Amino acid sequence: MTQKLVIDPVTRVEGHGKVTVHLDEHNKVKDAFFHIVEFRGFERFIQGHPYWEAPVLVQRLCGICPVSHHLAAAKAIDQIVGLEPRDLSLPAQKIRKLLHFGQIFQSHALHFFYLASPDLLFGYDANPIKRNVVAVAMEYPALAKKGILMRKFGQEIIKLVAGKRIHGISTTPGGVHKKITAKERNYFLDGKDIPSIDTMIDWSVEILEFIKEYHQKNKSFLNTFAAYPSGHLGLVKKENGFLELYDGNLRAIDAMRNITLDDIPNDDYADYFYESVEKWSYLKFPYLKHLGKKKGWNRVGPLARMNVCDGIETPLAEKERQEFMAMTDGKINNMTMHTHWARLIEILYCAEMMKALLEDDDVLSNDLLRKGERRSEGIGIIEAPRGTLIHHYEVDDKDRITRCNLIVSTTHNNEPMNRAVRWVANNVLNGKPKITEGMMNQIEVAIRAYDPCLSCATHALGQMPMQMQLIDRYGNIIDEKLR
Amino acid sequence: MKNYDKILIIGIGNCGRSDDGLGWAFIDKIKENLPANFNCEYRYQLQIEDAELISHYKVVYFIDAHKKHFDNGFIWLPCSPKATDSFSTHELDPETVLYLAKNIYNKQPETFILGITGESFELQIGLSKVAQQNLLSAISFFNNKVNTQYIKAIT
Repeated sequence: MTQKLVIDPVTRVEGHGKVTVHLDEHNKVKDAFFHIVEFRGFERFIQGHPYWEAPVLVQRLCGICPVSHHLAAAKAIDQIVGLEPRDLSLPAQKIRKLLHFGQIFQSHALHFFYLASPDLLFGYDANPIKRNVVAVAMEYPALAKKGILMRKFGQEIIKLVAGKRIHGISTTPGGVHKKITAKERNYFLDGKDIPSIDTMIDWSVEILEFIKEYHQKNKSFLNTFAAYPSGHLGLVKKENGFLELYDGNLRAIDAMRNITLDDIPNDDYADYFYESVEKWSYLKFPYLKHLGKKKGWNRVGPLARMNVCDGIETPLAEKERQEFMAMTDGKINNMTMHTHWARLIEILYCAEMMKALLEDDDVLSNDLLRKGERRSEGIGIIEAPRGTLIHHYEVDDKDRITRCNLIVSTTHNNEPMNRAVRWVANNVLNGKPKITEGMMNQIEVAIRAYDPCLSCATHALGQMPMQMQLIDRYGNIIDEKLR
Repeated sequence: MKNYDKILIIGIGNCGRSDDGLGWAFIDKIKENLPANFNCEYRYQLQIEDAELISHYKVVYFIDAHKKHFDNGFIWLPCSPKATDSFSTHELDPETVLYLAKNIYNKQPETFILGITGESFELQIGLSKVAQQNLLSAISFFNNKVNTQYIKAIT
């Protein structure tokens, strides 16, 4: 008899997904899939709208990373009004980057403190009632306070630039529509009303010390769990190959660190990427055309960014990156659970960058807008918290969007997440007579490392029961768990 | 001039889902006429950082849509701290937020929940007629209640 295990929905990720593990009569794993069961349709229903609405409309894709969609779309729309990223005024570029770093800082803090830390602090086999951020807050209040205030800091930066924390508006074609005042920036520098940016840097360093200590104690698990060879993709600085989150070239490497995408300009992305579909998921599977579907898929996100970049421009984060890379003797790091560590290095990088930008008088300038010559096509690529995010628009002579292509970060990670699920299925579930909650949770742990954003803006809030079903080959539920 | 303590009103919901926007609509209607010691916040859902927010206030009102029918169109409840056993922390209930404020920040504001009955929660902008009527009833009740509380607070 063939059995099928279902985890539906997957919890503590952004949005809904479902995992099915297919077992045979001996509890041997036959196959495992990570299904994305939400359908959005943004690429279609944005057609016909005037192009300047895109940055506002597409950020509704998400309640966690709307800023990322706002900025990727804004970069694309800049091109439609005839401007490359470097053509924008320096103040506009810096204000946009400040917004971007605030977004990544708060999103990474949310993921580490709220979603990932319960697994790390209480263990993967802990009672699921305990494995949540409320329990973290109760048992580790000092850590929870820092997590709350770090996320708040990032959100306040977003509010400063975009007017509100979720779905605010900052960009306008060719720039930004609001400068920052001296009083506004002092709010983040003087530490009187909220902990200052210097405190954010200190706390970022502290949390990195925590993860390094945690790694020392749990090395065998973190180094092996859901680890598998893969390609990695991310943006790098055009001038020196350093980590770049806002505007850089596309670089990919394979599992042996051979370059597979050699610092490609954003405008050429369509020559290199293709997306396939599978009937069991709404999420597409992107890959590099010249490598084919089997070899051309890549991880994206913090771990990928650490792997593809040649350095980090801020001193503290660069020191941490070097330590991180030394662990693998400079070789590629394919250890999925190290994504948490890489994410914290980026938290520190964002904090350092926010400090530099807040202290830069350019952000106080009124020089916010540029104009160019109208074009019919625009491409915007940024590094969102979860990885490389691509927005591509075409418009007609009446300013209406006629075509839209979005490759979001989690889409790149579709194949990697499926690989991670199969790893757990084969290495943890295989052949076991009974599937425990802790074992099932390990599947979620593997997925959660990628911080997937499965479109949280659409789910029914407060209605997320954790359901597990054991189903035989005839569709009969032979076991079911709810929590 | 009366020296009221700081008071917070949190409207919870999503105005893109018809009557789920009742919490926001409540704030939209009343915020212009509130005394200076009132602050208002809009939320899609409550999260753990709201424990830090409410820890700065003496009194907190949570306003949200309710799916249940009530004869007068709303329900008014005092809110007590209570730990959740939910595995999902995408959203928290007011009781849990209060529980966290008490345990993390050692603060326990006086807290109330005003649930206003809605009937349509589909993707749509604007409240149903029933929800609009219930909103007006709830606002009238709230004004009277809050005024009474002020008097009680200063006497």
